[in-house]
Amino acid sequence: MSQTAQEPGTVPASRMEMGSGSISLFRAGAGDPVLFLHAAGGAGEWNPFHQRLSERFDLIAPDHPGFGLSDDLPEVGTVDDLVYHYLDVLDRLELDRVDLVGASFGGWVAAALAVHSPERFRKIVLMAPVGLRVPEAPVADLFILTPPQLVRALFSDPAMVEAVLGVQPGVDDILRSYRDMGALARYGWRPFLNDPKLERRLRRVSAPTRVVAAEHDAIVPRLHCERYAAGIPGAQLVVVPDCGHALYGERPDAVAATVIDFLTD
Amino acid sequence: MKFNWFHLMPWPYLPPDFDDVEKFPSMSLTMSNSHFDPARGVELYHRYLDELEYADQLGYDGIVVNEHHQSGYGMMPSPNIMAAALARRTSRSRIMVLGNALPLRGNPLRVAEEIAMLDHLTNGRLVSGFVRGIGWEHYAHSVSPAESRSRFNEAHDLVKKAWTTPGPFEWYGEHYEYRYVNIWPRPLQSPHPPIAVPGAGSPETMRWVAENRYMYVSVYAPTRIVKTWFDGYRKAAADLGYEPDPDNIALATPLFIGEDDASAMREARSYVEWLFHRGLRQSAEIVFPPGYMSRPAMKGLLRSGMKPYPQIPFEELVEEGYVIVGGPETVRQRIADLRDELGFGQMMTMLAIGDMPAELVRRNTELFAREVMPHFRPASAPAELAQA
Repeated sequence: MSQTAQEPGTVPASRMEMGSGSISLFRAGAGDPVLFLHAAGGAGEWNPFHQRLSERFDLIAPDHPGFGLSDDLPEVGTVDDLVYHYLDVLDRLELDRVDLVGASFGGWVAAALAVHSPERFRKIVLMAPVGLRVPEAPVADLFILTPPQLVRALFSDPAMVEAVLGVQPGVDDILRSYRDMGALARYGWRPFLNDPKLERRLRRVSAPTRVVAAEHDAIVPRLHCERYAAGIPGAQLVVVPDCGHALYGERPDAVAATVIDFLTD
Repeated sequence: MKFNWFHLMPWPYLPPDFDDVEKFPSMSLTMSNSHFDPARGVELYHRYLDELEYADQLGYDGIVVNEHHQSGYGMMPSPNIMAAALARRTSRSRIMVLGNALPLRGNPLRVAEEIAMLDHLTNGRLVSGFVRGIGWEHYAHSVSPAESRSRFNEAHDLVKKAWTTPGPFEWYGEHYEYRYVNIWPRPLQSPHPPIAVPGAGSPETMRWVAENRYMYVSVYAPTRIVKTWFDGYRKAAADLGYEPDPDNIALATPLFIGEDDASAMREARSYVEWLFHRGLRQSAEIVFPPGYMSRPAMKGLLRSGMKPYPQIPFEELVEEGYVIVGGPETVRQRIADLRDELGFGQMMTMLAIGDMPAELVRRNTELFAREVMPHFRPASAPAELAQA
């Protein structure tokens, strides 16, 4: 899922040895540490949403193994593996407790992390997260959508759709997004972007949690956000108006504001 | 040169509005099976098996079946069932299963068992192909395309060991685990049936097929592209220190032979268009789902400049070498030229193209056997043919 054309990256990515290789991560800002877990798209790029968060927090935004500029790390092949991977990342960074923000696929990973080690997360924001098995309202099949179909499903603003579709991708762009989607297939082809056990384990999450839904989400039906909000004790659901599943790719200021408001409240 | 008669067994009865591409993006995966009519299905399967048996009678070296799932493009979810149906009704042709889609199997040991059985039923005439399965079949059977290659590799190693190593033995792999591997029967052919693997330009596949000294089979592509594949295979073999037997290089191609060039071009057009413009109408997302292709293979594909099949007009399909169409002399000459240029020793001829009616399939099969095959055989062979 590609993001909109953004201002050029102003924060260089750094590398961190992990497992059989290394991962890439952005880290910028000062204040309380926030771990941000990206969606299927958007790895490897510093975008306005990162920028806003880094103006208020110590933002740590790694690329998942197999995505963006991170190595494949063949030993990390499931979301369960990713949970241990990110616990290792936090240990390596000597961070006992962080705020946790995850979008879409990253929202699933965030929820799984919070279920596993609730004590390590102070506050949690899940943005249009996948991860729950909801047969009555399935997540759109991201793998089978053609690029134009995917862009139309991601953004609610037609002008933004046209702007994104107006840019012809080069061979390297296609290879990059093919690799990211291939990594997504590794983690989420079957079960399709869900862990059937996750929902009944959400009760373990102890941190105050905000679930952020996009008003016009054509990829993750609202019911997923509602079920997360119902399953996590005390969680609240907010809706970003005039926005598609791309969320921070479509309305970075509004989405950053709802995240920052909650984390600083 | 060996000539093998390859059937896809398509569903020819498309709905009248099939050319509405919004409604029918593909004949595979998403076209509802409400369009399948069981009564016609019975007729078709028997007709198609008759055609393969006819090829055996006419002296084709092999008859070929393959595996596809949830598709009107090819209606053999189990090629092994078709091979079994052919085993006792044919006597000379090799029966080539091209092939079992290993990554799609939850239990690949079943493939080892079925092929071993077929080897006996055919009295050692079986050729065992292994394929990964097309991208859409990973949707259809819910297998991650990102695991496709490693499942293929492991399933292959397991099947081959089950055929060649006395059991019982144990198997602990990334994808499969067995505490008892001890198949009965073992294959008849020793050490195992010949193995064939189709390739579409993936460098990993070329290298792997060359390492194992298996038969490398092309898929639909222009001659200039197939040349790079066969050259890649020979190069991989050369790097390993050997030169592949031409018998281990096979060109697969639709082929239409008419009384003369003009009538052949006229007659073939609609069937070739059916195959390429309807049968092969499919998005990149279902053919190459994420994770299915390695980076080098995807890069090669993007740089090859190959167009989606439905965008290639009939004349270009002929000129570029996706298909062979012509009168007897043209077809003979074309095969001789291609053989010299590409260096293959076997052909998988697809003489039943798209929705071709039964009588035309028979004519195509007969004309090819009579007018073309004898020219590529040792002098003694045509006499045998005549007895058929």
